[in-house]
Amino acid sequence: MDQKKPEYLRPALFAGAVAGLLSGLPIISVGNCVCCLWIVGGAAMATRLLAKNTAGILTSGDGAIVGVLTGIVAAVVDTIVKIPFQPYNMALARRIIDKVSEFGTEMPPGLDGLFDGGSGTLSPGWFLLGLFFSAAVFAAMGVLGGIIGIAVFAKKYPQVPPPAAPPSAPQGPPDAA
Amino acid sequence: MSRSGISRTILAVYLLTAAGTAIWLSAIFLAPALAGRGSAGAARLLYAAFSPICHQLPGRCFSIHGHPLAVCARCLGIYSGFAAGLVLYPFIRGFSKLELPSIRVFLPLTLPMALDGAAGILGIWASPMGVRFATGVVWGTVLPFFFVTGIADLFLAGRRRAAAMALERNQANDVK
Repeated sequence: MDQKKPEYLRPALFAGAVAGLLSGLPIISVGNCVCCLWIVGGAAMATRLLAKNTAGILTSGDGAIVGVLTGIVAAVVDTIVKIPFQPYNMALARRIIDKVSEFGTEMPPGLDGLFDGGSGTLSPGWFLLGLFFSAAVFAAMGVLGGIIGIAVFAKKYPQVPPPAAPPSAPQGPPDAA
Repeated sequence: MSRSGISRTILAVYLLTAAGTAIWLSAIFLAPALAGRGSAGAARLLYAAFSPICHQLPGRCFSIHGHPLAVCARCLGIYSGFAAGLVLYPFIRGFSKLELPSIRVFLPLTLPMALDGAAGILGIWASPMGVRFATGVVWGTVLPFFFVTGIADLFLAGRRRAAAMALERNQANDVK
């Protein structure tokens, strides 16, 4: 069967942008602490959009592809959205860490230096490294979300078109009275 | 594609996923180990690698020699559950099935973690680390059955497309 290749990019762009936005905004981004909820959920939503716009059957491989793309888009959007919130996020993280430290728990090493960075902004090198790590991790989580989305949203059986109505029987001449 | 070809592909994806999982889990434990040995720079890099997907609050992480692991207890449970699921995979599923597991299996296993996480975010209760770890393990165990199948299908779809294109080219050449 010659099936048209699904269009992955548009659902991934839309769902990835939303997932990246939710991941980047302060407070709201805490959802990612429950196993990347925004990324996995975003990839699943991308699969739903893909299923709606695709006539044929989608396979789990299609879910994986749209999930990867969603994760990468989400990472880029997340990184961009976080830029203006960087000082706020740093201050918030510092307050949380200080609060937890009151219980005598040790901070991961190097974290002190990160918060005492003065302006609260990261160097371009760290920025790019962070983007690379985010893209890799979000892509992996996106794959998972996309595959799960296929299990939930994709059509399970071929969409067989309804049989054409049989041609109406030719009308014979009216009975002569 | 032949049955043996499908099995080989699923097995290859399974082995690669198992290797990746081993590296991932090792990195989680390596971070505090490096911190304990004074390699702060390398430890910081590892902690930073996991920071996009985990809050890394020390009070919610297991620790080794006083240094927290690179991820929290719940995340560690998920990744440990993923590893456990990989161990069970050959026995439960084998290497010949390409169908995804039913969502009816996935949803009940997700529920404990979802409820625990939601209650924590809403401030209803703060579950102990053991509960977070356990709910993460339960959810993580089912994930490889989706992940391995999906990635294997992705590779097989690529090969099917390549085979179809080669067939079309051959047919076009025959016509000429």
